[in-house]
Amino acid sequence: MLKIWSMKKEQQKAENAEGAGGKKKKITAAQLRVQKDLSELSLGSTMRTIFADADDILNFVLEIKPDEGVYHGGLFTFTFNMDQNYPHEPPKVRCQQKIYHPNIDLEGKVCLNILREDWKPVLNLNAVIVGLQFLFLEPNASDPLNKEAAEDLRSSRENFRRNVRTSMTGGSIRGTSYDRVMFNRA
Amino acid sequence: MTEIVVSQTPPMLHGPTEKEKKYDRQLRLWAASGQAALESANILLVNSGAGTVGVETLKNLVLPGIGKFTIADDALVNEADLGVNFFLDESSLGRLRSECCTKLLQELNPEVQGDWFPKEKGPLDLANVLETSPIFTLIIYTNPIRKEDLATIEAYSSQHRTPVISIHSAGFYSYFRIALPGTFPIVDTHPEVEKTADLRLLNPWPELVEFAKEMTRNIDALDDHEHGHVPYVVILLHYLEQWRQSHSGENPNGFKDKTEFGKLVTRGARTNNPEGGEENFQEAVAAINKNIKAPELEAGVEEVFNHQVSDEAELESMFWVIARAIKQFYHKHGCLPLPGALPDMKAQSSVYVKLQSIYKAKARKDAQEVLETVRASPGGKDVDPTEVDLFCKNARFVKLINAKPRQLNLSQVFDTEKASDEEAEAMKVATCGAFSLPASNFFIYLALTATAHNPAATAEEIVSTITNAVPEAAGHERLWQVAQEVARAGGGELHNISAITGGMVAQEMIKIITKQYIPIDDTCIFDGISSRCQVLRL
Amino acid sequence: MATTAASTGPSRWQYLDKIRRNPGPFNQDSDVGDEALAAQDKAKILVIGAGGLGCEILKDLALSRFKDIHVIDMDTIDISNLNRQFLFRQDDVGKFKAEVAAAFVEKRVKGTKITAHNGRIQDFNEDFYMQFQIVVCGLDSIEARRWINAMLVNMVDMEDQDSLKPLIDGGTEGFKGQTRVIFPTLTPCIECQLDLYTPRAAVPLCTLATIPRQPEHCIEWAHIIAWEEQKPFPNLDKDDPEHITWLYQKASARAQEFGISGVTYSLTQGVVKNIIPAIASTNAIIAASCCNEALKIATTAAPALGFEESYMMYSGDDSIYTSTFKYDKKPDCTVCGEVAKPLQVDPKMTLKELLDSFALKADLQLKKPSIRAEGKTLYMQFPPSIEEQTRPNLEKTLQQDLGLDVGHEVVVTDPAFPTLTFRFILSFV
Repeated sequence: MLKIWSMKKEQQKAENAEGAGGKKKKITAAQLRVQKDLSELSLGSTMRTIFADADDILNFVLEIKPDEGVYHGGLFTFTFNMDQNYPHEPPKVRCQQKIYHPNIDLEGKVCLNILREDWKPVLNLNAVIVGLQFLFLEPNASDPLNKEAAEDLRSSRENFRRNVRTSMTGGSIRGTSYDRVMFNRA
Repeated sequence: MTEIVVSQTPPMLHGPTEKEKKYDRQLRLWAASGQAALESANILLVNSGAGTVGVETLKNLVLPGIGKFTIADDALVNEADLGVNFFLDESSLGRLRSECCTKLLQELNPEVQGDWFPKEKGPLDLANVLETSPIFTLIIYTNPIRKEDLATIEAYSSQHRTPVISIHSAGFYSYFRIALPGTFPIVDTHPEVEKTADLRLLNPWPELVEFAKEMTRNIDALDDHEHGHVPYVVILLHYLEQWRQSHSGENPNGFKDKTEFGKLVTRGARTNNPEGGEENFQEAVAAINKNIKAPELEAGVEEVFNHQVSDEAELESMFWVIARAIKQFYHKHGCLPLPGALPDMKAQSSVYVKLQSIYKAKARKDAQEVLETVRASPGGKDVDPTEVDLFCKNARFVKLINAKPRQLNLSQVFDTEKASDEEAEAMKVATCGAFSLPASNFFIYLALTATAHNPAATAEEIVSTITNAVPEAAGHERLWQVAQEVARAGGGELHNISAITGGMVAQEMIKIITKQYIPIDDTCIFDGISSRCQVLRL
Repeated sequence: MATTAASTGPSRWQYLDKIRRNPGPFNQDSDVGDEALAAQDKAKILVIGAGGLGCEILKDLALSRFKDIHVIDMDTIDISNLNRQFLFRQDDVGKFKAEVAAAFVEKRVKGTKITAHNGRIQDFNEDFYMQFQIVVCGLDSIEARRWINAMLVNMVDMEDQDSLKPLIDGGTEGFKGQTRVIFPTLTPCIECQLDLYTPRAAVPLCTLATIPRQPEHCIEWAHIIAWEEQKPFPNLDKDDPEHITWLYQKASARAQEFGISGVTYSLTQGVVKNIIPAIASTNAIIAASCCNEALKIATTAAPALGFEESYMMYSGDDSIYTSTFKYDKKPDCTVCGEVAKPLQVDPKMTLKELLDSFALKADLQLKKPSIRAEGKTLYMQFPPSIEEQTRPNLEKTLQQDLGLDVGHEVVVTDPAFPTLTFRFILSFV
C-alpha cells in the first residue's frame, strides 16, 4: 500500500496545523453556508423570517410587507428550502398565497432569474430576498408567468393597480379568485 | 397574429419498443442509423497470447448489439487465463478458449450471434476460417501473433478492403493501430453544438434581409415589450446595416471594429426599465465575435475539396459524388450550403418559429441545388436525397481519415518525438515545474512492437531490436526505461489495461462501423502509468 | 525470488505477479516483499454504485486480485441498463443491482468475496466507512459524490493512520469520461473541484410559461407547470410510462399550439429524466482506469495519479484525447479547506459563558458570535426571530442541557468577519 500516512504527517508538520482527532460529529457544508448567509441577511423593516424549528435552518418562511408600490398593505409569505446541495443548487422558493402578479403563478412559483437559470454558488440568500422585494416594487410585464396580469400591466397601469387591489382583498379577476393578503395595521 | 401551422399528426400513442428501451442510452448517441450499421456488422477476432484485450473489446460490442462476432484462437484455457479473463470460469479449464469465451460473451446479449474456431482442439487454420466464413466487416487481431497468421489476415484485408485493427497489451502499456483500406470520409461527425451555428449575418439572403427590415423598420416606435423581444439575429442585421452606412459599405472587421460595433448595439438597448437593459440586446452583443466574421473553410472540408482521389472504387462512392457537387456550390456561391439550424434566442414564439422557417427554407433550397448537381453528374442519378441533406447539414464539419501518407520512416518519427520531449523538459525547467508537457508515448510503441512475436524478450533484446530498425534510438534513456517496463510484464496482460484498451478499440470500431464521430488516425498508444494516450500517424 | 508455481505450470495470478513482484524502472523503491504484498490480500475495498461503472469496477477489482470487496447501490435493474451493465440479464429486471452484481462476480472469479448493500450511502455511518482501505466511486450524481467526499475528508484523524482513505472517482458521458484520485485532506477534494461539473443549463420559467421556442421548452412546461396544475397522478414517477406519456401528450399539444416541431417520446423522457447517454465502451475505459489507480495504490507497482496530476480526462468523440491535470486545493474549501481546531471547554459551562470567552480570546475577539452544531442551532444573533427562539439556550449548560459532547463540531460566525467561519471540535476539561 502506498505510504500515504507518512505524507500526511509531513503535511501536518509543514502547515503546523493542529487537527482534532477522534470521532467527530461534523456540520454539513450546506448548513454551514446557510448559517453564514443568515448572519449576513439585511431584512429592513418590511421583512421577517419565521423558523418553525430553529434547529432546522434549511427551512424557513420569509414574510414580506411591501411599504410602497401596488402591493403596499399586503402581507406575503414565501417558503425557503435549501437541500444538502446548497449552494450548488439554488434555494427553492414558493409564495404561499394565490396572488395576482405577473411574475408569480397561481401555484406560487416565482420567475426570478437567480432562482433558476442565473443562480451561482457565489450568490446568497440575501440576493434572493432582495430580488423578491424588487418583484413587489417593480413587477415585470415583459416576461411573465401570469400572462393575464402581465398584459394588464402592459396595457394599463391603472387597470392593473385596480385588479391587484381587488385580488389582495380576496376578490376575483376574470373568474379566478385570489387569497386575501391585506393585513391590518393596528 | 397567430400563424397558421401546418397541421401535425397527433402524437402516436405507442411508447418505445422493447429494443428501443434496451438500447435507449446509446441510441441517443448514434441513432437508429448507427444501430442498424452495428447490427449488420460481422467481426472477426484473431486471438492469441494472454488473450484478454480482444475479448474485452468484443464485450463492448456485444452489449450494444453488434450483428455477429467470431473468435479464432486455438489456445486451451489454463489457470493464468482465469486470473485475467472475465469470460472464462473454472469449468473452462483445459477447453478451447475461443469456444468458452464465445459462449460467455453471448450470454450478454441474446440478439448477437457468436461463432468460434477451431471447432475441435488442435491448430487453427486461419486461411480456412476466412475462406469459409461470410465476409467480415472488420478484423481485429492481438499480438503476439504468428507471422503466417498475420500474412493471411493482410492478404484477406487487401482482397476484400477490410479494415484491420492490431492490438497489443502488455503490463501497464498498450497500443492499437487501425489499418483502413483507403481514405475514410465521415459526414456525420457530431461536432459540438456550440460550434455549429451558422447565421450568415454578413451574407444574408433576400428573405432574411426582408424579414429583418420588416421587423426593425420602426424599431424606435416598437413598444417596450416588442423591442425587448426582437431576436438577436434581427438586431445584428439591423445594426450591421447602420454600420455599413457610416463605414462606406464595409462590415466591422477586426477586434477594434467589433468592439465599436458592440457599443453601437448596446446603445440601441432601452434602459428605462427596472432591469436597466434588455436581454435580447445582451445576447446580440455576446453573439458578435462568433457570428460577425467572413466565412472560412474548416480544415476538414478544405482537405476534402483538395483531396485527389486515386482509387477507382472510392471515386465512384456517393461521398465523393456529393463532395464534388458541394465544392461546385462553394465555388459558385462563396459559401457552403446553409445547415439551417437556428440556436435558441430570446424572442416571441411566433417570431422565432418564423425566423426558424426562413433558415430552414434556405437550407432546403441549397440542398436542392446540390441534389440537382449530383443527379446531373456521373454516378449521381440514383442518389438518396437524405444523404445529400445530411451532407449539406454537416458540410462544414466533414472529415477525411487515412488521407495523409503514412510515416514509414520510424527514424524520422523518433527524431520528432525526441525533440518534442526535450522541448517539454526545457519548458519544465524554465517554468520551475509549473508548466509541463507530457512525454511522448512513441517509445512505448517501439518497445511493444519489438515484442510482437517474442513476448518473453528481455530489456536488452528489446532495445537491440529497436536500434536495429532505428539506429538513432541507441542510448536514449526513456527508451531504456520503457523497454525495462515492457520486459517486466513478460508478455502478460494486466486486466485493467486490457479493459481500458478494449474500451478504446470498441469505441473506434463503433465509429468506423457507424461512420459517425471521428476515429483515430491511426495509432493510439496508452501509458497506464501516467494514464495518458497519444495518437500518432505511423 | 522465483514463484513456487513456476514448476507446476501457470498459476492464476502469474501475469499480475510479474508486475507486483518485480520492481520496474518507475517504482524502483517499492517494497515487493511477501509481507508488503500480503497487505493487498487483506485490503477491504468499497465500491459505490453498481451501475454502468460499478459493474465494470467489480469485474476489474476482482481480476486485480482484490479479495474482499463491498458494494453499495440503492437502485434496482431497469431494462435500459442492459446495453452496458453487463452483469445483468433480462430476468434480473426489478432486482437490486448490488445484489445481482455481487453474486455474479463472486461466482465467476473464484476466491473473491463480494458483500452487497442494497441501500443509500447516507444509510451508513463513519464506523462502516472506516473498515475500508480504498473507496472507488462509479456514481452519476454530484450530490452523492459530495456526500462521500465530505464523509471521507471528515474521517481523517491524526491519531489513526488508517483513517485516510484514498477516494477514486469515475464519471462518464457519451464518449467522454474522467478519473480522479483524491487523498482526503492531502490533495484537492471533490468540493475543491466542483466548478469542473457544469450545472445543467436552465431555461427561465417565464420562457416556459409564455414564449416557448424549442421542443424542450414545451416538455419542461408540461413537467414543471402543467403537471402541478393538473396533477393527473398523485406523484410523478419518471419511470412510469403512463406518466411520461401524459407529459409527452401535454408537450405535443403545446408544441402544436406554438408551431414548434420536434417533441418526441424519447426527447420527453430524456428531458424529464435528464438522461445522459451511456455506452459500454466508455464505462469500460473509465472503470478500468479507476481500478488501475486502485491497484497502483494498493501495490505500489507504479506511480498512481493523485499527488502530481490528480485528474484524467478522456474524450473519444473526435479521435482520442486524454489530458491529465494538476488541480490545486482550495484554501477556503468548505469541506477540506479549514481544519476544525480543537476547543477545550468545561461541559458545565453555560452557552453564554462560552460565547463571552470568544470575545476575550486574543485570537478570536468575536463580539457578536452566532454558533451552531450539527442539526442544532445553539444561538444566532440574526435574524431577530431566530435570535429570540435561541436566546433561552444562553443560560443552558453545554453538555447536560444542550447535548453537546466530545467530538462535536461547532461553527461560529460573526458579522465582523463576513468571510470567515470558525470551526471547532469540542473536548471537555
